[in-house]
Amino acid sequence: MTVLFGIFLLTLLVIVAIGVVRAENLFVAVMLTGIFSLLMAANFFILDAADVALTEAAIGAGISTVLLLGALALTPGQERRLRGGRWLALGVVTLTTLSVLYATFDKPRLGDPEAPVHQHVAPWYLEKTPELVGIPNVVTAVLGTFRGYDTFGEVIVVLTAGIGVLFLLGLPGVVGERKREDLESGRTYLGHHLIPQVVGHLLIPFILLFALYVQFHGEYGPGGGFQAGAIFAAGFILYALIAGEREALAIVSPRLLVTLMASGALLYGGLGVLCMLLGGSFLDYSVLASDPVAGQQWGIIIIELGVGVSVAGVLLAIYHAFAARGH
Amino acid sequence: MYYVVSLAILLTMILALVRALLGPSVYDRVLAVNLFGTKTVLLVSVVAFLYGRPDFLDLALAYALINFIGVLAVLNFFQNSERNMAKGPAENRKEAG
Repeated sequence: MTVLFGIFLLTLLVIVAIGVVRAENLFVAVMLTGIFSLLMAANFFILDAADVALTEAAIGAGISTVLLLGALALTPGQERRLRGGRWLALGVVTLTTLSVLYATFDKPRLGDPEAPVHQHVAPWYLEKTPELVGIPNVVTAVLGTFRGYDTFGEVIVVLTAGIGVLFLLGLPGVVGERKREDLESGRTYLGHHLIPQVVGHLLIPFILLFALYVQFHGEYGPGGGFQAGAIFAAGFILYALIAGEREALAIVSPRLLVTLMASGALLYGGLGVLCMLLGGSFLDYSVLASDPVAGQQWGIIIIELGVGVSVAGVLLAIYHAFAARGH
Repeated sequence: MYYVVSLAILLTMILALVRALLGPSVYDRVLAVNLFGTKTVLLVSVVAFLYGRPDFLDLALAYALINFIGVLAVLNFFQNSERNMAKGPAENRKEAG
């Protein structure tokens, strides 16, 4: 059944990808990109990768679509036709496709226990997680402690991307000349539409509650800081859509957003330094409590919090940077 | 039973996809994307039960919430481009109609 689902969803994926490339109206391309993300998320889900599927759905299908629409509001709606260079591009793409297809001939079968990926460090993680970390979701254990350095790197990358976007677009009240008072000059929101207003106001508390659940349930089920941060940001974006930019920025001010962006990464890195001060190595949480397993769990909860705060801050700041420029 | 349901959902996804690819108006595509999102939520829920992992319903919840926000963002985008039609770049609506 998995194979059938996989073939089906991947075929649709190829069709949608061709559709995105062929679409000349950029709005159509954005809509198809949304479908692409949903298909990708469904694919991850079919392959039992629930954590990745949750990330793809929250960031790929949700926030990316919103951000792409924000960017589209600043650009012409039609793709500009390029002269020349098409055959070169087609050649590169064909060559890449053929070499990737060639590479698949050596690929082990799906779920083959003899595959190299299942022989390397994965068995060790699976075997040692209950003993060393004591949480049911191995993905969170790998992400939080075994591969804590990599995750720290990811948070720094997210933070850097956020800073880059803010420098390019500016954020009213923090970067760039625009003042917060200039907002709303020509930018509309869904303020006078009754149904989005009512449904939105009803949904926001539940979205934030769900984000908290994803944040703190990551040790037991799919979820964690990245997903929770994206869902938090989605909740506040919903508020900005139905109540307007000015109202949204009055609740979470740009200065607070920038502080959140930095403090999440700082919390993560600070915990690593704290571990060193307590006599362990960088990001070795065992020293945080008298019982090493409890220390690991505390460490994971704290770094997931740092990840969530940073991701939420960055995504929301990028959204506001786009929305504030729309005119 | 779950197999039949999931096959039916996959078929509906194809139909929605055809609408999203063919158009012809922008609004057809918006509706098709929305429909596709809803079908993904259903597919995830059905497959969660099919695999005996009902705790994965969390994902379906997340998809549903995110879909709603996406649709509102699209509506807001249209409202903006409608307002700005007089003064500038909003050829997005050229295709509509």
